[in-house]
Amino acid sequence: MHEHKIETPNEKQNRHKAMESVNVLNTLKEGFKTPPKAMDYFYNLFEDVYCNQKALHKDKVKVGTMCIQIPSEIIYALDGVPIRLCNGFYTDDEIGSDFLPQKACPLVKASVGHLSSKNLTDKPDMIYSPTTCDQKTKAGTLIASFGYEVVDVDFPRTKESEISREFFRRSIREFSADLSQKMGKKLSRKNLKASISKIGYAQSLYHQISEFRKNKIVPILGNDIFLVTNAFFFDKIDNWIEATEKLVEELEQRVKDEVNAAGKISPRIVYTGSPPIFPNYKIPLIIEDSDGIIVADETCSSNRMFNDRVAVDEWFVNDMIDSLADKYLKACTCPVFSKNDDRIRRIVELVRSHNADGVIYQAFAGCTVYELEQRSVLEAMEREGISILYIESDYSPSQHGQLSTRVEAFIESLKIKNRNKK
Amino acid sequence: MKYFAGIDIGSTAIKITIIDENKEMVGHRISGSGSMFYNYAHQTLNDLLKDLNISKEEVLYTVATGYGRKLFKEADENISEITANAIGAVAAAKEFGAIKTIINIGGQDSKAISLDEMGNVVNFAMNDRCAAGTGKFLDACAMNLEIGVEELGERHFNSKGTPLSINSTCAVFAESEIIGLLGNSHSVEDIVSGVHYSIAKRIVKLVKRVGIKEGIYFDGGPALNGGLVNAIENELGKKIFIPTYPQVTTSFGAAILGVDSYNYQSVGV
Repeated sequence: MHEHKIETPNEKQNRHKAMESVNVLNTLKEGFKTPPKAMDYFYNLFEDVYCNQKALHKDKVKVGTMCIQIPSEIIYALDGVPIRLCNGFYTDDEIGSDFLPQKACPLVKASVGHLSSKNLTDKPDMIYSPTTCDQKTKAGTLIASFGYEVVDVDFPRTKESEISREFFRRSIREFSADLSQKMGKKLSRKNLKASISKIGYAQSLYHQISEFRKNKIVPILGNDIFLVTNAFFFDKIDNWIEATEKLVEELEQRVKDEVNAAGKISPRIVYTGSPPIFPNYKIPLIIEDSDGIIVADETCSSNRMFNDRVAVDEWFVNDMIDSLADKYLKACTCPVFSKNDDRIRRIVELVRSHNADGVIYQAFAGCTVYELEQRSVLEAMEREGISILYIESDYSPSQHGQLSTRVEAFIESLKIKNRNKK
Repeated sequence: MKYFAGIDIGSTAIKITIIDENKEMVGHRISGSGSMFYNYAHQTLNDLLKDLNISKEEVLYTVATGYGRKLFKEADENISEITANAIGAVAAAKEFGAIKTIINIGGQDSKAISLDEMGNVVNFAMNDRCAAGTGKFLDACAMNLEIGVEELGERHFNSKGTPLSINSTCAVFAESEIIGLLGNSHSVEDIVSGVHYSIAKRIVKLVKRVGIKEGIYFDGGPALNGGLVNAIENELGKKIFIPTYPQVTTSFGAAILGVDSYNYQSVGV
């Protein structure tokens, strides 16, 4: 019999995560039509980071963010690297279950579990935690108890009023001052303007890709796009931009060459709800494996990061900070807000502009705000005459069979509708 | 001489152990259950006694256990495989020290048994009505990979890459997954270690239901598979003890109980 050492808890966690990662990456590479060559950069990136534990930002100050509402522009301007800590691993979700109620959101559990293990390749030097949903808010305090430096960033639950606007502007000014002090560097017109334009450019690349996805022949899978936008959470921004530029070029060519990532009659899907974060592409993979094609999404791991640009009136530091605060509050379509008609408008707009056949709405079991908003979104879609499927799921690899049956049936119904139209 | 027999009629194999009055193992034999449990059990017992040069009359007490225990009507007594497994494990693990947790993977089921200080069963858990995480699952996987079950261990240790996840715990669906992985020219080694880890994860969940207590003993045929042992140890984060003859622990336990029952009855008379 072989003599072997037993894995340490960290080694075991790494192996579990590598297994989850390889599983999804192999499916993307092998389970569908040949992906664009430019995707190799992203496949390799995820493999390096999650299978080989490669650190990307060794010599940099890493600023962890618990949610989408912390302006990356400010972090980059101060020479920090933003690392979004929202986590998609079932391995970490299971670790996090020791700290949070069983019914808590898997994303929050996974993020907490990951941080509790201290097993991070790019360990954040500090963490900013916007007080968005209840679970993320409480998670911030819990994470601080593990020994991380966690700073709450006050976030309002309404966005229409002038009070909330001013509230969040003050919050972001405070955040800028705090980070500036920690980094020993001041925000200047020059450095802030430069980082706003850089992120703006990254956003423009996303918009170019969106244009290609409006095409009748869709040149790339929605799952691949999720991987690209997900890389923006942690990648070196210049590398990301370069790789995405290449992808844009290749997709342009694919559109010309009529290379279809989908089938001939694949229904076009807009994806909304709790964010698919690598490697939890469970529902998106089921959709595209069932002959649907995701042409657009309304989630905070993808579209919501790139959709809206910053509108600056005057290029002074204070004005830029306020404009950033406005963008991260006003344009946000997160269901934490009391009223969220913006989100419904965004979904309808995406369905119309991308000529979609239906919407699939996923809520993580335990992600209360998405569960709560399900009703109003479903009603609105019905009014608009848009087919929608609502699914609740979590990070566990089980129930795959039941979920795929429901998704398949929905996609088949869309196909039949399309046929009857003709 | 006085001898005692333990007969474990399982779904996949019949295991018979003969012990003497000092509860020392004299010999054992394993044969496939096949289609005729009853006949095979008799034949196996006769063959074993012949090999050991023991006459039927010298066997004073016979205890049957396992799924097919009720079919062996000549037995003096029959007991559940859980009790027999616990008794056998405690005796077989003498050199290892006190055991508190038993993991057993059989042909069609898997169990976790929790013992107290005295070796009594305090709790146990079994898999659902499903072949996932059992010997049958390993058999099916080996067959799909076109290798022998006995090769699985060696292949596991030769795996160079990340173990490939087998997502379906259902033995039938796992088959199509394995074929898919082979079709995309993944190495047999990485698939094998993936299969082992998928079983190990299920087993560890089962063990957690009864509580993981130090002193872990693993038996049943799959315990001969070093790769699976490695996977379970990694998933548990603890060393486990494998007996010399992992397949016959339960029949050994049944035979030991036979000695006790025999002595108890003799005193009674």
